[in-house]
Amino acid sequence: MAVETHGTGTLPQIKGVKDVPYDELFVSGHRTCQGCESALVMRHMVKASGPRTIVLGSTGCMYVANTTYYTTPWVVPWMHTQLGASGSAALGTAAGLKVLMRKGKIKDEKINVIAFCGDGGGADMGLGAISATLTHKDYNCLVLLYDNESYANTDIQLSSQTPYGAVTTFSPSGTKKRLMHTRWKKNVPGMLAAGHPESRYIAAGCAAYAVDLMNKIRKALELGGPTFVHTLDPCPKGWDYHPQYSQELGHLAVECGIWPLYEVMDGVCNLTGPTRQIAEGRKKRKPVIEYLKRQGRFAHFADEDVEHFQHEVDKMWTDWLVPGVIPFTVAAKDQTILKIDKKPIHEQKTA
Amino acid sequence: MAVQVKEREHQDVETEQLMSGCEAIAEAIRLADVDVMAAYPIRPYDGVMQAAAKLIANGKMDVEYIVADGEHSQFEIVKHACAVGSRVFVGSSGVGWFYAFEAIAVTAGLRLPVVAICGNRALDDPGAFGTEHNDSLAVRDLGWLLPWAETAQEAMDLALMAWRVGEDKRVSLPVAIGLDGAFLTHSQQIVKVPTQASVDKFLPKFDLGDRLLHPDNPITIAPQVDQDWLMEIRMQNDQAMRKAHDVITEAHADFKKLFGRGGDSPFLDEYMTDDAEYVVFGQGTLALPMKVAIRRLRKEGHKVGLVRLKWFRPFPTQEIVKSLSRFKAVGVIDRDYSFGSPYYGGVLYNEVRSALYSLEKRPTIVGFIAGLGGREIEQPMATDIFEKTKAAADDITSGDICHWIGVRS
Amino acid sequence: MSEIKETSVTVEVVYRGIFQKTLAQRICRSIVLAARKRGHTGTAFARYGDSPERNGVPAKQFAVVAINDLELEASMAKYEPAVVDVSIAVDDTLVKGVESWAWYGRQPIWKPVRKDGFLLVTSTNTPDEVLAQTDTALRPYTLVIVPGGASFAGLWVFKDDHTDYRCLGALAKVLPDWVRLEDVKALIREQTKDEGAVQSAQYGYDGAVLRPVKAGEGTSGHEVLQFEKPGWTTMRPGIVVDARKPGERNPQYKKYGARTLRPVVNFDTCIKCTMCWLDCPDECFEVTPEGHYEVVYQACIGCGICAQVCPVKDCIVMVDELKFEDNEDKWQFWKKDHDGYNKWFEAKSGVSADPKVRTPAARQEGSGNANPSANPTSASGGDD
Repeated sequence: MAVETHGTGTLPQIKGVKDVPYDELFVSGHRTCQGCESALVMRHMVKASGPRTIVLGSTGCMYVANTTYYTTPWVVPWMHTQLGASGSAALGTAAGLKVLMRKGKIKDEKINVIAFCGDGGGADMGLGAISATLTHKDYNCLVLLYDNESYANTDIQLSSQTPYGAVTTFSPSGTKKRLMHTRWKKNVPGMLAAGHPESRYIAAGCAAYAVDLMNKIRKALELGGPTFVHTLDPCPKGWDYHPQYSQELGHLAVECGIWPLYEVMDGVCNLTGPTRQIAEGRKKRKPVIEYLKRQGRFAHFADEDVEHFQHEVDKMWTDWLVPGVIPFTVAAKDQTILKIDKKPIHEQKTA
Repeated sequence: MAVQVKEREHQDVETEQLMSGCEAIAEAIRLADVDVMAAYPIRPYDGVMQAAAKLIANGKMDVEYIVADGEHSQFEIVKHACAVGSRVFVGSSGVGWFYAFEAIAVTAGLRLPVVAICGNRALDDPGAFGTEHNDSLAVRDLGWLLPWAETAQEAMDLALMAWRVGEDKRVSLPVAIGLDGAFLTHSQQIVKVPTQASVDKFLPKFDLGDRLLHPDNPITIAPQVDQDWLMEIRMQNDQAMRKAHDVITEAHADFKKLFGRGGDSPFLDEYMTDDAEYVVFGQGTLALPMKVAIRRLRKEGHKVGLVRLKWFRPFPTQEIVKSLSRFKAVGVIDRDYSFGSPYYGGVLYNEVRSALYSLEKRPTIVGFIAGLGGREIEQPMATDIFEKTKAAADDITSGDICHWIGVRS
Repeated sequence: MSEIKETSVTVEVVYRGIFQKTLAQRICRSIVLAARKRGHTGTAFARYGDSPERNGVPAKQFAVVAINDLELEASMAKYEPAVVDVSIAVDDTLVKGVESWAWYGRQPIWKPVRKDGFLLVTSTNTPDEVLAQTDTALRPYTLVIVPGGASFAGLWVFKDDHTDYRCLGALAKVLPDWVRLEDVKALIREQTKDEGAVQSAQYGYDGAVLRPVKAGEGTSGHEVLQFEKPGWTTMRPGIVVDARKPGERNPQYKKYGARTLRPVVNFDTCIKCTMCWLDCPDECFEVTPEGHYEVVYQACIGCGICAQVCPVKDCIVMVDELKFEDNEDKWQFWKKDHDGYNKWFEAKSGVSADPKVRTPAARQEGSGNANPSANPTSASGGDD
């Protein structure tokens, strides 16, 4: 029984929570943790895309927890792909559909292609393939990276997306080493935006801001070409907090300025949600301790660790060219010729 | 939901062209109306990708040609294009083939009929550009069909067979054609290129049926299984591989009718074996110098012959038993190695011995490792191989040895 | 010292995945190490198929003790024992049944327990209250209530509230031939050097309440879920399964077995803001004809996000799962019998359905539910 099309297949921006589509294309009955934000991302992802969608799911929680043979929670067609292959899966699927339609072997119509990966599969192993796919402007596809800041499905190991100092099974806190993981989180959406000027849409989102997230996914699918969305997903298991606080932690990550929400669309960077308000000066960034103290993975932090974390986040907001997006500072001597005004927006003279 | 398939230009006349094995495969890609192919440079297979690119640029064929960022991506791209119903082509060599290993394993597990060539090349380290079969052979347990070509003509023919057999619903398994690096990938030979019309008669459209990944066919492909399900799924692959034997036989008969070539047997190419007492057994281009040696030795009165294996997987056990049981001794020539194996023999050596094990009257089977890294098999080596095979005939235990041929100490 | 007639004994610990992983591990290891003091050998292992564990989803770990290595071999190279002598459920809501794996169907908690075996349950409820939620017994066993509520922690930080010591004390009461109380105490003393911990074992021993259960006792009110596995000739080729149909929830996998709390909704105070429906990772809300959002209890895993995101105080309240006998949706009840529903809401939640009535402070403390705290802390840290 085919999944019906809705109208012409265009995906308008959702105005508010009351306009969120009701149809569920990722339904209840999957073996995810209580409070799994990544599962919520899956639900919102296909809610935004609608039924004329093919989803490719790379190995990780959203493969193993969701899809256990002989059952499935997916209404739309779904196929597994390898850990580092989400970029290739998106590309191969999109290319296959395109040529079959061109040759008249299947009906010519808009079919959304979404390949998802976790932070392990996307930011580490599969980054090369995603990068390659983002250069292929002839093919329409979205790569969605759901980031729970660990290799969660293998029982929580650190990835390049694990925050500074966090405990994982590869970075336990012990008597000799309080922190085994001292690498700062790699800036994936910013990197991809900067490195792939032909990709029309790259964004950072969070399921705590559901409408913002769904609209970002819709923009990605509507603009065409290869696109990328990165969501930050609080994970009760890996981050060690009671599942009921998943939404709250997502809000805190953004409100502390740790995870800026933004999109780069057709070469224009746009801050969204509370991130915009923080940049405008209308909202003050909460101290990172508000976020860190809620999670058992930081329970071993000493004051100096919190200070370092705060310092890095502060730097991101004061020194980066674009907070959360472009990490360079510009040399003082070049700030004038490059027309960089470092004053916060609300203090600048109006144009 | 009728779709209008666009007409393709038909080439009405069979032509004869001078082309390499890689170029011959490119012709097959054109004739088969492949939809998606993914390329990545590594020698010696990538001649096929270069030849295909020229055909596309000059409007001779319409294929989505994607240059990937690595072999793993390459093979994943075509795997997924196949899942949505595209006829696909891909390839690699040596360590490039190994870089794609994960994708290669899952393609067979998923029963997706990807067609590939492996331009057989020695593995690093140490590397060499010349041919060795270990790259293809490394996947021999996973469910890929593995034929080997001797000539550029056969390369093209095997490619057409590959889509026909692999995509057959009774099989639905991927196929990787072994092409010896340099000798076959690069050397140019006279090849008969068939008409489009005849190929269209041989190759039906690719149809995944209710396995097609498309919004009109809501399925979930490959949820994760556990110990309760895996054996049943492996069993299905086993059954498909068993059926492949019969489907190859069928397809071979059709091929012969349409194109007038293919030899008597789909699986074995026998040379002067009718009255032979001692034969050599192997696959790929090593058959060529061995045939030269056979003609020479025959003049001297030796009753020698050759059995060339065309399909390593599915291993044509019955055919091999029937053929080889006629001889006093068989010298199996492996253009591969298998360190630490029984009698330190190569892969073919041990498989042939296993096939013949339960025969009451068995020929002596001697092992030879030759031609690694593309070392030519010269006539003195060929003579050496036959002499050692003949010498082993009267004592079956003298086959419990593997001779490395032409190695300097 | 009584003579041992059996050559090995098997204990399973049934627990809430992740929250009680370390607790289960500590219990199983301690069983083996305590028995070692008598010269027995043993093995402790987790059920491999449960890995990776998911918050709340029931999981099992095992301890097998044998008189020698030869007898132990029968229990090696297995995923799980088919029969156990003792099952220890460290959360009393588990007695409502656990899936044998993911979605193969809810099984009675006593299913692997041998005839005349033991089912230990940590609970603050009485044996009869616990038994009322346990499937009708097919064979006799002894229910043992170990005093104390469910102890929940996280992956990295262990809540050291002595639950493991109390369980070991209670176990010593029912398996004195294999797990002697003095060996348990000696082990605890060695590991912790804390007499308080040792006393907890004694407390578990003394305070454990035994209730023999005859065949036929229990409830038949729980859903019976079965599944027959097909073979390779009927399984679709290419590892393909049918997708879900639009509008359905997965009938093959209902997550209610992973719940320790469930949300009850005050439809009177609901402002129809959509947040609970929107933010539920498990798609457990249905919109009603009047625009309220009701919980589909068959699907709800009890994470509590809805209660947190609901902007109206006490409109959604998380309540101990053991207080409920069925998984029926409740909006129709509210629609047909408004006052009856509100009384039910108040009885279950301890909160008034009338927003003008102030919630007494007492309700914030021991409301009888096993709500784990946000960031459990520990003096001694975890074992991991």
